[in-house]
Amino acid sequence: MEFGLRVEERNFFSKLDWGLILIILGLNAFGLLNLYSATHGISSEEMGGLFYQQIVWLIVGWGLFFILTIIDYQFIGRLAYVIYILNLGALLGVTFFGKVAYGAQRWIDLGFFRYQPSETMKMAMIVLFAHILSEKNSMGPGMGFRDMIWPLILLLIPFGLVVEQPDLGTAMMLIAIGGSMILFVKVRKGIIVSALVAVAIAAPLAWNFGLRDYQKNRVLTFMSPTADPRGTGYNSIQSKIAVGSGKFWGKGFRKGTQAQLEFLPERHTDFIYSVLSEEWGLFGSLCTLTFFMVLFLVGIKIANQANDKFAALMTVGVLSYVFWHMFINMGMVIGLLPIVGIPLPLLSYGGTSMLTTMCGLGLVSSVAYRRYLF
Amino acid sequence: MSTQYVNNPEAAKEYVPRYRPIYVLLAMTFILFTARLWYLQIIKGTELREFSEKNRIKEIKLTAPRGLIFDREGRILVENLAAYDAVILPQYVDDLERTTKVLSEAIGLESDKILQKIQKKRKQMGPFAIVKVKENLTLDEVFRVQTLRIDYPGVEVRENIIRSYPLGPNGAQLFGYVAEISKKQLPILNQQFKDKIVFEQGDLIGKSGVEELRDIELRGRDGYSFIQVDAHGRELGATDNKILGQQIKDIEPTPGHNIQLTIDRDLQEVAFKSFSDLQRIGAVAAIKSNGEVLAWVSTPSFDPNEFSKGISPDLFAKMINDPFKPFRNKVIQDHTAPGSTFKPLMAITSLEEKIITASTIVNCPGSLRFGNRPYHDHLKGGFGNISIFEAIERSSNVFFYKMGISLGIDRMYKYISLFGLGSRTNIELKRENGGLLPSAAWKMKNVGEEWQPGENLSTAIGQGYVTATPLQMAIAYNAIGTEGKVVKPFLIQKLIDPRGQVIEEHHPELVRDLQKLQPNGVKISPQTFQTVKEAMRRVVQGERGTAKHWKVPHVEMAGKTGTSQVRSFNADDIYTECTSRPLNYRHHGWFVAFAPAENPEITVAVLAEHACHGSTGAAPVVRDIVQAYMKKNHPELFANDKDMKTIKIMPVKPGVDPSAIDGE
Repeated sequence: MEFGLRVEERNFFSKLDWGLILIILGLNAFGLLNLYSATHGISSEEMGGLFYQQIVWLIVGWGLFFILTIIDYQFIGRLAYVIYILNLGALLGVTFFGKVAYGAQRWIDLGFFRYQPSETMKMAMIVLFAHILSEKNSMGPGMGFRDMIWPLILLLIPFGLVVEQPDLGTAMMLIAIGGSMILFVKVRKGIIVSALVAVAIAAPLAWNFGLRDYQKNRVLTFMSPTADPRGTGYNSIQSKIAVGSGKFWGKGFRKGTQAQLEFLPERHTDFIYSVLSEEWGLFGSLCTLTFFMVLFLVGIKIANQANDKFAALMTVGVLSYVFWHMFINMGMVIGLLPIVGIPLPLLSYGGTSMLTTMCGLGLVSSVAYRRYLF
Repeated sequence: MSTQYVNNPEAAKEYVPRYRPIYVLLAMTFILFTARLWYLQIIKGTELREFSEKNRIKEIKLTAPRGLIFDREGRILVENLAAYDAVILPQYVDDLERTTKVLSEAIGLESDKILQKIQKKRKQMGPFAIVKVKENLTLDEVFRVQTLRIDYPGVEVRENIIRSYPLGPNGAQLFGYVAEISKKQLPILNQQFKDKIVFEQGDLIGKSGVEELRDIELRGRDGYSFIQVDAHGRELGATDNKILGQQIKDIEPTPGHNIQLTIDRDLQEVAFKSFSDLQRIGAVAAIKSNGEVLAWVSTPSFDPNEFSKGISPDLFAKMINDPFKPFRNKVIQDHTAPGSTFKPLMAITSLEEKIITASTIVNCPGSLRFGNRPYHDHLKGGFGNISIFEAIERSSNVFFYKMGISLGIDRMYKYISLFGLGSRTNIELKRENGGLLPSAAWKMKNVGEEWQPGENLSTAIGQGYVTATPLQMAIAYNAIGTEGKVVKPFLIQKLIDPRGQVIEEHHPELVRDLQKLQPNGVKISPQTFQTVKEAMRRVVQGERGTAKHWKVPHVEMAGKTGTSQVRSFNADDIYTECTSRPLNYRHHGWFVAFAPAENPEITVAVLAEHACHGSTGAAPVVRDIVQAYMKKNHPELFANDKDMKTIKIMPVKPGVDPSAIDGE
C-alpha cells in the first residue's frame, strides 16, 4: 500500500483506546469554551491571555499523554521509588524556595512555569502505591496492619510536608487517593473499624490544635455561609447564586452576570464549574457530570482488561485522582462541601493541574494500549 | 523480580469483585449531584436568578422633591435646595482602611471619625446601609471625591435635596422639620402605609408641625434609576450593558404636593421680630376673624435648617434639655391660667345672667373678705364705685370676685365653655392641648372634692383651675369681637399637586353663632357683646386703660391684659416687685386683642411667659402685629403719616404707671 500507513503505525492507532481519547477531547472542548467565557469578562485585558496559555498547556498535555501511552508502564512502575524520591525532594525544595501565594508556599518558579510539586506528588503516590500494593493479595480477608505500615509511612511523609505549606486541600487529596487505592486492594474489616474510631477521636484534636484559623473559617462558613456575606462565606454564596441562576438552559454563552461581572471569585480556576452552570444551566451541568461518569466507566473497563495487577491498580489510582478532584470541586461549587482550593480536572485553568491530569490519563491510555499485547 | 509485572491478565482478574463498590460510589455521586443541581437550578432557580439580578443591578434612588410650603400670597416659607454629600457604600469597599484614609484627605475629616460613622451606621442599620460621611460638600470637595470613586469602589458623591427654611427659627414649631426615619419607626410606617408607600432607611420624614401633619402629601414618590454594576460596585458603561442584554428603564420621581398656608409671611416676620426683640418666651397667635391663622410664633425656637444639615448631637441635647422647651409648640401646647383676660367672658356671663346691667355700679374696695380670708385687688386702695366699663378698663378684681360669688361655677361654665375654653380648637396640628374650664361636676370627678365657694372667686379672675392656650384665647376673643362667631382656626388653605391642580381646599368653618340659641339654652344678645366690646375698647383707647400705651394710630383696638400666676404667693408677696423674682417664678403676661374694635378683622393673642405683666410683656407685640396688618390691608388710613418713625414705638418704662399693672 503506497499511501497507507506502515504496519507498526497502523497498529499504534488501532491499539489506542479511542473511547478514552474522545471523552477527554469532549471535556477539553467544553473546558476551553467555558474558559474563554470565564476569561473574557469585564477585565478581559487582564485575563484574556490565560485562555491561550491554557491551549498551550493542553497541547503539551496531549504530547505527554501520547508519550506515556507509548512508554511501557512497567518501566515507569520499576522507577516508582525514584519518581517518589525526586518528588519528595521537590516538595522539600518548596519549603525553602517556594513562592508564597494566598498565604501558603506551594510553588517553585521555573520562569516559564510555576511548578507545584504537591500536584505531581499525587501522581508519584499513585505509581508507587500501585507498585507496592499490587504485590498484596486481595483474595482472602484483606491486608493486615503489617501489610499497610510501609505504604502508610510513604504516604504520611508527603502529607506532612503539604500540610506544612499549608495546603490542607491537597494534603487531604493525597490521603483520599492513597486511601482509595488501599481500600480497593482490600483491608481487614477490623482495621477499617479501628481507623474510623481513630479519626473520630483525632478530628476534635485536629480542630483545636491542627487547623489554622483560615481553615477553620472555611469549615465554619460552610456550615452557615449567610453569617458573613462579605467575608469568608461570600464565595460560597456567590457560587450558589451563579449555579442556581442558570436555571435549566442557562443564561447563555458569555451572558452569565455572576461570572462576567466578577461576582464569582476564582472563576477561571476553582469556580469554573459555577461559570459553566450559570451559562449552560442544568443542561450543561449534567452534561459535564455525565462526561466525567463516562470517563470513569471507560477507565474501569480499561482496568478490568489490564494485563497485570500493577496496571489495574494504577488505573484505579488515576481514576480516584480524577474522581476526588471532581467530587470535591463540584461539591464545593454547588454548596455541598466547604471551600477548598481544589481545581476541576480538565476544565479549570492551570498548567500543573492540566499536565498532571493528562499524565495520569496517559498512564491509563498506556494500560489500554497494552491490553491486547499477549 | 516482583510478580506484578508478569503479563498475567488472570491475576488481574483477582480485582474484578473490587470494582463493584466503585460503581456504587459513582452512582451515588451522580444521584447526589444531580439532585443538588436540580434543587439549586430548578427548585430555587427563579429565586437565585433574582439574587443574581439584584447583585448586578444597583438601584439609585432619585429622591422626590418634597412639596413646598407657601404663605397665603404664594411666598416661600419652606423650600428645597440642592446639596452634595460624600457617601460610602460599605458593601463595595475593598480596603476600608485605605479608602477612609484617602477620603479623609479629600474632605478634610479625620479617618477615625469616618470609620466611627461607618461602624455606628452598621450597628444601627446593618451592613448594607449607605453611610453619609460628610454632607453639604463644597464644589472642590465634590470634585475631589468624584476623582476618588474611580480607584476606590464604594465611595460616591450623592446629590441630595435638602429642606430649607428661609425663616429659620421663625415658625419652626409650626412648619416643623424633617429628619431621617428612625429604625424603630420604619417598620411601623411600612405597616401603616402597606402597599401605598414604601419607606426606606435614610428616608427623610416630617417630624413635627405641618411637615409631620402632611408628610404623606408633601413627600411625593421617590424614583429609581437602575445601573448595572460589577462585583466591585463600579458602574458599567452603556456598551457593557448591551453585552448582558436588557437595560431597565428608570422610574421617574413624582414631586410632592405643595401646601399653601393661611400664614401671612409679612405678619409672621413682624410677630417673630417683635417678640424676639423683647426677648420673650411664649407664644403669639394671630387669626383672621374667619379663623385663618395669620401668624404663629413660639419661642425660644430652634433652626430647622440644622436638622436638614444633620444636627449635631450636642446641639440637639442642649435644645432637648432647655428648660424653656424650644420644640414645644406653645401656641397650642402651653395652657396656662388666662388671668384677667378671662374677665370679658365673665362680664358677658354676668350681663346675660342679669347679675348686672351696663349701668350697674358696684362698690370695689381694696380687698374682699370671703369665708375666712381676704381677697385682694392689685390696687391697694381699691377702685371705689365702678361700672362694668371701668372694671374691665382698669381690671378690677373685686368687681369680678363679686360676679363670681353671684354666678357660681356652673353658670360661668355654661357660658364660657361656649367660647371654646376647655376644649380643643381642632386646628389641624397634632398634640393640641385643650386647656381646662372647671365645673363642679368636673372637680368631683377629677379631684374627688366638692366645689368650694372660694374657688368661684379665683376662677372669676381667671386663676385656679382654669387654663387656656393662646390659640383658644384668640378664638374666644374673636368670638367677642365678631359678636358671637366661634370659628374653627385653620392653617392649610390649599393642597396643590405638582401640575398646579388644587386637590384640596379648606374654607372657614363656623363652630357656633352665640347669638343663636345654643343646645344648653344660652343665647347671647348683641347688646351684651357691644357693652363688653366697648369696655375692652377702653382698655386700649381709654385714659386709664391697662394697655393705653399700646395704641395703634388711626385704628381702634379692643382687648384685655392678663397675668397668670405661676405660683401662689402670700398676701405680702403679692405686692413684691415681680421683676425682682427669679425668672421662672415670674408671672406670665397675657394680652389678647382684636382690631378694628367695632368690626374686627384680626385677633391677636400673646402669652409672654415670665414677663410679669400683660401690658408691658405682651401688648407691644400685639400692637406691632395689628399695626403691620392695618398698614398692609388698609394703607389708606396711614396715607397722611409724614414720618412713619413717630408711630413705631412709644417707649414706656415698665412698672411706672400703676394702672399699667393689671389685676391678680
